[in-house]
Formats: sequence, structure tokens, C-alpha cells
Amino acid sequence: MTLGSAGSSVVVPRNFRLLEELERGEKGIGDGTVSYGMDDGDDIYMRSWTGTIIGPHNTVHEGRIYQLKLFCDKDYPEKPPSVRFHSRINMTCVNHETGVVEPKKFGLLANWQREYTMEDILTQLKKEMAAPHNRKLVQPPEGTYF
Amino acid sequence: MANSNLPRRIIKETQRLLSEPAPGISASPSEDNMRYFNVMILGPTQSPYEGGVFKLELFLPEEYPMAAPKVRFLTKIYHPNIDKLGRICLDILKDKWSPALQIRTVLLSIQALLSAPNPDDPLSENIAKHWKSNEAEAVETAKEWTRLYASGA
Repeated sequence: MTLGSAGSSVVVPRNFRLLEELERGEKGIGDGTVSYGMDDGDDIYMRSWTGTIIGPHNTVHEGRIYQLKLFCDKDYPEKPPSVRFHSRINMTCVNHETGVVEPKKFGLLANWQREYTMEDILTQLKKEMAAPHNRKLVQPPEGTYF
Repeated sequence: MANSNLPRRIIKETQRLLSEPAPGISASPSEDNMRYFNVMILGPTQSPYEGGVFKLELFLPEEYPMAAPKVRFLTKIYHPNIDKLGRICLDILKDKWSPALQIRTVLLSIQALLSAPNPDDPLSENIAKHWKSNEAEAVETAKEWTRLYASGA
């Protein structure tokens, strides 16, 4: 083993990164329109998370509360989490049958970088809801699930 | 990767941890991240954790040594100052941190915490309550968990 060998800046390992995200989520983020928390408080590897997005103003989503499931595998954050909507939604980047957010149609996942967080994903999805191609789409009844 | 400009202090501490490990404690940096350590602490004798091998992980943040190392248990443990995610309530990891402390002192303090649980400053409310209301029974549970989860198998 060589100490102090080549490389770049400080890399926060997966588990400590997720602990940071957990603490940030517990404190509450910004105006509260996106939030997230861990599903299973006993899972030492912190894999399953639930996210919530409150639909943005001046869109068909306004006032709706969307629930999502995020799964951070062992290779997170080198690889993005898998993300799917639990609440039914009609959105261009979301699979109509499964609710999965399709990376090919959602740039943040397609061009994932390890600095990105679950907060970034939820915030970006909220912006996407207000994008011209999504804000007026006809939506399934509120309170239905994939 | 991720190891350039590794501060001399961290290199020194690592070398010493490897060459003169503290009794009942081992800590070795992971191959791809020299700030990330795999740690093993043996349950102290005469404690409910005796006979147990406890796995922990430790990370030296960019600000180290101006900021404390981050440490948590990976092995499940029944202890009033350790929560379900293995996070540890210990003053020197928080407001009592000083750059004069080291990885070694942190790990020795955690080992000492296993010998002397402090239910008056709990992280796990339920375990602390158990400890204060029926210490003998709580100690039995801690022994049982040690057998179940920390047998080193």
C-alpha cells in the first residue's frame, strides 16, 4: 500500500453521504415543497426512501401531493438512485405504466454526477412539472397510485 | 483516486494505527479512499459486549482535523448512546472535538463508551429508558444482541 498516492479531491463515501442527506432531509428543505425521508429506520444501508413533491403553482399539478420512491443501491452516489412515482402522474419523463422516471428523458439522471443529491432530483422534477410540455397535460384522478 | 494531497497528519496517524494498533482496536484505510477506514472494536471485557466483534466505519472529512472524524457502527448493538443506524452520541465527536484529538483517541473513547453506557445522555430513548428502569435486564439484552449480531462469524 502506498500512502498519499495520486488522485483528486476528498470523496465522501456512500454511507456518510447518505447520513448527510438524511440529516438535511430531517431538518427540512427550503420552502418545504420537496421533502424526503428514509423508509426503513432499521436499514443500516439506507437504501429505500420516500420523496414528496407539492405540485407547483400555475400548473395542472398545483395543490397535488406526489409521492415518489427512491432506491439508493450500493453504488450510489457513483450511480443515480432509481426513481419512480408512487402517485399517478402524467409527465413526459415518467413511464405511464410503472411510474418510473426514465433516465433517457430526464437529464439529471442521464447525466448523473456524484455531487447530485436526492434533493436535486426532487427539485428538478418539480421544475419539470412546470415546464411548458408538462404543465397543462391532463392528469389522472388525484389520490391514485401506480 | 481521492488521495492526492492527503495531509501529512493523516498519513502519520494511519501509519501509527497500522504499526502500533491499540489493544482491541483495528483500523485500516480502504484502498480507494485513504480517508475512509474500516474499523473493528472488540467488546471490552466485563462489559455486556464482551466477546463481540463490532464493525464500524470512519471517515475523515475535508476539514479534519479542524472537524471531528465521522464514525458509526455497522454492527447492530444495544446501547443507549448508539442509535439504530449506528450513529454514536459522544461529546468529542461533536462540540468537544479538538484538533489535539486523533483517530486513535476517538476509537479508544468509543471502546470506553461500550464499558460505560451513559443512559442520561441517550441517543436511543427506548434503550436508555430500559437501562434506567431495569439495568440488569437491559444488560441481558445487550449480551443477547452481542451473541446474535457481533459474534464475528
